[in-house]
Amino acid sequence: MNWPSTSLVEKVLLLFWVILVSQLFTTTDVQAIPAFARKYDVNCTVCHTRVPRLNRTGERFLENGYQLPGTEDGGTTKKFRLGDLTLDDVTNYLGFRLRGNVLRTVDYARHAPGTNIDGIPEDRTEFGFPEVFSLFTAGTVTNNVGFFAEVESNLEEDETGVERAFLTFNNIGQHDWAHLRIGKFDPSAYSSYATLRQQFELVGDNSVDNGSFMLPTINRIGLTPAAFASKFHGLFDQSGTTILPTAPSLFHAVAEMGLDIHGRPFGDWFLYQVGILNGANEPFGDSNNPKDWYVMTRFDFAQSDYLSANFSGFAYFGSNNAKVSTMADVNWSRYGFATNVRYYMVDFYAAFVVDHVANLPNSFKNTFDETATGLTVEANVLATDRILFGIRFDHLDAGGLRTQRTSSSLLGVIAKYYVRSNMALFLRDDINLRHAQGRRAPERNFRNAFFVGADVAF
Amino acid sequence: MPFSWAPMWHFNRPRGFKAPNLLRGIVVCLTLSLTPLSGAEPPTDLSDSVVRGKRLYEQSCLLCHGKTGQGDGPDAFYLGAYSAPRPRNFTEAEFKFRSTPSGQLPTDADLFETITRGIPGYMPSFRGLSETARWDIVVYMKNFSSMYQEAEIPPIVLPPGPLPTTAESVNRGRKLYDMLDCAKCHGPQSMQPGGLYAQGELRDRRGLPLLPPDLSHPSSFKNGHRPQDIAQSILTGLDGTPMAPFEEALSPHPEDIWHLVNYLLSLSRSP
Repeated sequence: MNWPSTSLVEKVLLLFWVILVSQLFTTTDVQAIPAFARKYDVNCTVCHTRVPRLNRTGERFLENGYQLPGTEDGGTTKKFRLGDLTLDDVTNYLGFRLRGNVLRTVDYARHAPGTNIDGIPEDRTEFGFPEVFSLFTAGTVTNNVGFFAEVESNLEEDETGVERAFLTFNNIGQHDWAHLRIGKFDPSAYSSYATLRQQFELVGDNSVDNGSFMLPTINRIGLTPAAFASKFHGLFDQSGTTILPTAPSLFHAVAEMGLDIHGRPFGDWFLYQVGILNGANEPFGDSNNPKDWYVMTRFDFAQSDYLSANFSGFAYFGSNNAKVSTMADVNWSRYGFATNVRYYMVDFYAAFVVDHVANLPNSFKNTFDETATGLTVEANVLATDRILFGIRFDHLDAGGLRTQRTSSSLLGVIAKYYVRSNMALFLRDDINLRHAQGRRAPERNFRNAFFVGADVAF
Repeated sequence: MPFSWAPMWHFNRPRGFKAPNLLRGIVVCLTLSLTPLSGAEPPTDLSDSVVRGKRLYEQSCLLCHGKTGQGDGPDAFYLGAYSAPRPRNFTEAEFKFRSTPSGQLPTDADLFETITRGIPGYMPSFRGLSETARWDIVVYMKNFSSMYQEAEIPPIVLPPGPLPTTAESVNRGRKLYDMLDCAKCHGPQSMQPGGLYAQGELRDRRGLPLLPPDLSHPSSFKNGHRPQDIAQSILTGLDGTPMAPFEEALSPHPEDIWHLVNYLLSLSRSP
């Protein structure tokens, strides 16, 4: 899929982008910071190591339903009264984020699935402008009742819609005993390695859908942490659309419909989370009836010496949450653990995840690998107040159709320059360590990708 | 009602007054009625307060200030990273936001006030906690060092004011700004950092580079932007930073502090 041709919308957004950047570089007296920072009169670094990564304060703020850790201030902070109403200043709960690439070079071979034809080499360089625009509103309605809604427009994927939207009911029973989240949300938000809080932005795949319950043509694989990826070739959702092997899914889905409960009833050192979801890629309703459910526990260590450490483990149990090409339902589950250690300027995190497909039809027993694993290891180093370097290693041992599955290892490096704490420019390169041009597998045909981009939050 | 820094709730310890002679002169000559900064009452049962305060500290404060109060919590580095400020070390007698003379510990009311108000840019206001809860944290914090068992130093007393913002007052303040060499750090136009910052010489006691506040934006002042807040910062200084106390320099004409405050507020481009 190429970037879309120039349209009126694109021109308007480009103009917007130019104005925005010029403002950022020329204005000195505007404390342009996102909504929560505005609400609490603090810098981004109170809750982030560097945007978008959360530090522990940011994580506790998120867990507490957008209230300061230890407080239940949702009904008071920056609220004002108008008769019986409690009102907010709109700037305290409205923000946006613009991110993406202004230049990218990708080098891969187009895949020809199910044939003996080698892929067609592609090597292209494209200019663009940040293609993902998110408008979000989040905050508290009153004490212990929070909300979040995010509308995202992705020009590359030609999609605009509600990415996530949910309500939170916090501190049920006693403070920090139980927080309920209901709606469309990212299940891994509270784990040691959250899908949406990485310095390496998720990069979608480049593929062509060949019809319902047909294998797609995967031109270029997505650049997703291998641990979070779907990992299987030959799985489909309930509508027959392919679940691509590098798409984030299950516990690590960008968003799923459901509800979950989390809390720290025994103190800061231990977090529990249990949840129930419609299942992979299910919007409103649940066409296959059984639900998926998951449990996660997290242990936090270190309370001083500039050290922060935690470890989490999870299990996600799928029930009829995917299909194979015969349209038979399978149970797709996931287990794994993750860790995060921060010490001074170093932020290290890793995840190892095992996926398993059960209840396969007998005809697939010898042609479908039921187990797949993914390992992701990442480290970021804040070299100066403004410069951050990052490196990520991914190893995916894919499962699914034996004619398609293979293993792959990728290495990504990134350098970010923070013009301000809420605006970063970056250079990124992803290299396939096991590139093999002649192999008819997208994991091997991908050679390299280079990105120049920006990430701005207001 | 005239303003005073002297709070009415000095609990737990007797007072010893060790202020410099000139400051003592100000205190003696310029007596004001004593009014508290807040209507909050300190806890009477301190043992329960310590238990509650510990729990609250660990939930709300530990992540920056650390388990032992040394300012080395899990999030402390990234707050300022390679620049000041880092979170306060409660085990050292070095506090920026005090109503007491330079080098002295803050009063309990000062600690309560900082928790309540927060520090623009770096520490959110914890008004979301009840007043009792904030007092509990103050009581618990004082266990980090035996220094807090010593006699509490009384706060300085400001001269009567603020004075009306007249052209004469602002002009007098401008002259004081030059006379006291404020421009060395805050810049000649008071809106850009001064030469010492450009030379990299403005650093806190940890050696971290420090950006002086933009005086045209009082709302960013870490110690508050009310006239009395600004006067306090100038007179007591911000310990641990190059901002020295100016109470002696201003003692010949104590009311000059309000002229200087009026000049600084006249630079404001925002509330």
